[in-house]
Amino acid sequence: MGEIRSHEDNNNTNNEDEDNNNNNHNHLSKKSRLLSFITQSQIKQEFAHHHTGVARINNGSFGSCPGSIIAAQKRWQLKFLQQPDDFFFNQLPAQILRSRTLIKDLINADDVSEVSIVDNATTAAAIVLQHVGWAFAEGRFNKGDAVVMLHCAFQAVKKSIEAYVTRAGGSVIVVHLPFPVNSVEEIVSEFRLGLAKGKLNGRKVRLAIIDHITSMPSVVIPVRELVKICREEGVNQVFVDAAHAVGSISVDVKDIGADFYVSNLHKWFFCPPSVAVLYCRKSSLSSDLHHPVVSHEYGNGLAIESAWIGTRDYSSQLLVPEVIDFVNRFEGGIHGIMQRNHDAVIEMAKMLAKSWGTILGSPPEMCPSMAMIGLPSCLGVLSDDDASNLRNHLRDQFRVEVPIHYQPLKDAEIGPRDEGCGFITGYARISHQVYNTIDDYIKFRDAVNQLVQDGFNCKMLVSRG
Amino acid sequence: MSSNDLFDNDHHLDDDETNVNATTITTYTQKYHTSSLCKSLNHLHIDILSEFSHHDPTIARINNGSFGSCPASVIEAQKRYQLRFLKQPDDFYFNHFTQSILRSREAVKTLVNAKHVDEISIVDNVTTSAAIVLQHVMWSFFDSKFKPGDTAVMLHYAYPAFKKSVEAYFTRAGGKVIEVKMSYPVSSNDEIVTAFKNALELGKSNNRKVRLAVIDHITSMPSVVIPVKELVKMCRSEKVDCIFVDAANALGSVEVDVQDIGADFYTSNLHKWLFCPPAVAFLHCKDPEASKLHHPVVSHHYGNGIANESSWIGTRDYSAQLVIPEALEFVDRFEGGIDGLAKWNHEKVVEMAEMLVKAWGTKLGTPVDMCSSTAMVGLPACLGIMNDADAMKLRSILRERFKVEVPIYVRQAKDGEVDPVMGYARISHQIYNTDDNYYRFRDAICSLVSSGFTCN
Repeated sequence: MGEIRSHEDNNNTNNEDEDNNNNNHNHLSKKSRLLSFITQSQIKQEFAHHHTGVARINNGSFGSCPGSIIAAQKRWQLKFLQQPDDFFFNQLPAQILRSRTLIKDLINADDVSEVSIVDNATTAAAIVLQHVGWAFAEGRFNKGDAVVMLHCAFQAVKKSIEAYVTRAGGSVIVVHLPFPVNSVEEIVSEFRLGLAKGKLNGRKVRLAIIDHITSMPSVVIPVRELVKICREEGVNQVFVDAAHAVGSISVDVKDIGADFYVSNLHKWFFCPPSVAVLYCRKSSLSSDLHHPVVSHEYGNGLAIESAWIGTRDYSSQLLVPEVIDFVNRFEGGIHGIMQRNHDAVIEMAKMLAKSWGTILGSPPEMCPSMAMIGLPSCLGVLSDDDASNLRNHLRDQFRVEVPIHYQPLKDAEIGPRDEGCGFITGYARISHQVYNTIDDYIKFRDAVNQLVQDGFNCKMLVSRG
Repeated sequence: MSSNDLFDNDHHLDDDETNVNATTITTYTQKYHTSSLCKSLNHLHIDILSEFSHHDPTIARINNGSFGSCPASVIEAQKRYQLRFLKQPDDFYFNHFTQSILRSREAVKTLVNAKHVDEISIVDNVTTSAAIVLQHVMWSFFDSKFKPGDTAVMLHYAYPAFKKSVEAYFTRAGGKVIEVKMSYPVSSNDEIVTAFKNALELGKSNNRKVRLAVIDHITSMPSVVIPVKELVKMCRSEKVDCIFVDAANALGSVEVDVQDIGADFYTSNLHKWLFCPPAVAFLHCKDPEASKLHHPVVSHHYGNGIANESSWIGTRDYSAQLVIPEALEFVDRFEGGIDGLAKWNHEKVVEMAEMLVKAWGTKLGTPVDMCSSTAMVGLPACLGIMNDADAMKLRSILRERFKVEVPIYVRQAKDGEVDPVMGYARISHQIYNTDDNYYRFRDAICSLVSSGFTCN
């Protein structure tokens, strides 16, 4: 049973501090034992800048950042404005290195040289794919060699593949994963089949891009297994797009075994917009990756190149120590947060599914801090436009912020059904982060029930220009 | 402009109109000249001290040219945008963001005299613009439009990071770079034009095509205003495929009219001299449809034109890009607006530069009409500045011991020079500077000279 918090719940425990015992770095071990954990009203205070009155159940899209981190960020911004030359020469490089070192421990990388900090996963994709583009141009890859991607890859990643792979003469193998999905085994076998099929005409597969947690629809993918399959099938390199991972599931990059692994830190790890970690396994570093925005440090290694790409505000990249302090105010640190978010989102998902007579899109063990809930079929989500129109409608009319996904049926006669026996083609992706309360989901539940009661159908909505 | 009516701290005037509320920060008294600009400052009660009160008050900050500066009122406007995103990011993204970026682009279009807002993209900085244009040139090699050995012409004094970008995209793709050898000090535009012409000739020699010309509007180190319009014309008549002006320092310090200059691509920062927070720049494309540029960080706008692509490159803090109108409002509070401010800064930096070279017995690196809001002042030869390491050493000493922030440049001595002046300081003047900043620098150098200091 998850710990769902309501506004009235003032969780002022005096439990013994359960240190975040999966993290060994010095910073944590120096902290004295906390006497009490962060309280519910303190959490509310930390997120007081969030729009009250909006049920913000979409942490997955843009993330969130507590007030104390924003305040710390302002201090760094001020340092630059006060004396930018001194900051540039004497402070910034050391602070970036400090962040990278802490992140290395967080994700269990071997060496800090493997850890680069970039703006976001979108930038990381450009870095890896531009490298692929050069390989085609310089003849290391042949025209027609392939890159593998999932059908549900994030739109920006798909476009990046088009911009750097297709344009350079590469081909793309698209692997469809099932959704809704019932087990990890389904994912593994579908991936194996899809990859084998794609290789049928003897194409060399140079790179596979696999999500750790797909965005829409959101499912935790067994990346470790898929990386193994890629290796077995002779795929040269694997790039894991884990935009959602750090702060929502455990991340061990050595165990996963990919060549490249990226995760945002502003989604689930409380950093301000925006910052991401791009891990490049040492043996893969000889791949000669470069940041596409070239500055003074060109040729000194990706991590150093990424640490300066022209005058900008780098403050969001400097707050990892403060964030670690923040998460350690919670019982169980980041692991406690992840567990409670997961349990809460499942509990809420089940509550919604029960109320609407629908289903979860995947079993709980394949949900991170997000879950996909089927929407009643009578709402008529029958296209991507319907999905975004419904999303806008929920925001404008009910003040619920939640993304909607359209899942076409694989087969006109077979598919998931709701209690009314209609086919479920619309899903909501609900998130749970520490600032959420049960009221947020009740609001969503009631909004959808209201729409059903009113005989609402997406056909009634007009697309925005 | 006269230096007659000088007010020092002990003469607080009762008349609110003329009291600029000076406070003692250093042992020097602060003196304000009564130019029309200053009169307008008083008249509009623009409190420069409080707008820049976040600057470290112990530093003589005469290096606006490196990182720029941002007044408190624009920072406040930026914070409001940051908060709006944090408050409800989805709503901001879907309902407000696009028009806010467009508002910024419209403001820039008017400022630089572009024909159409489609020609204006907003990016982080000129370093990013370089990557955009140069990656596009790289594709021309991949698509065999350009051949291996085709040439690019760029100034020897081009910005080092820019040169790296040319190496990363142009040279790596098979191109050859011809550098325009310019001597320094420079005494006239003719020198530059001749040197450039020679480089173009070299670039065409042996049946090669000059595919790319990178022309600085104002070089960074050493800082020289380049006759960019003339050089662009020359490149046009030589049918250079891609004429790209790096104007990182230009906007807010010299007049910028992109149509008049006529380059294919023109880019300038707005956080250096136009009071935007770090960091924001614009990239102007003469013909955006034909150029088919792409932002190297690809997002879902890919294929919708460089302006749209640049407007969203993944979740980030775009607030610096959204306060361009507020920064322009700040500038418009000064008499003569952006032009009045640029003129004031130029006159002041020249005045201070001439004061310094007189005190040290040295010379300016260029005639004053080739200075913008920055000037290169020769440093006494006895300081023994021979190389970049010496320059950095001197810069650090000036920062740490004398609390003066100023970048130092070292040139190559020419054959046969006697007792050459090798080291130059690049002094900047922006609205927050006072004469005391430069007196402190003058005295620091004098002190180093009289103590027999040398870099080696």
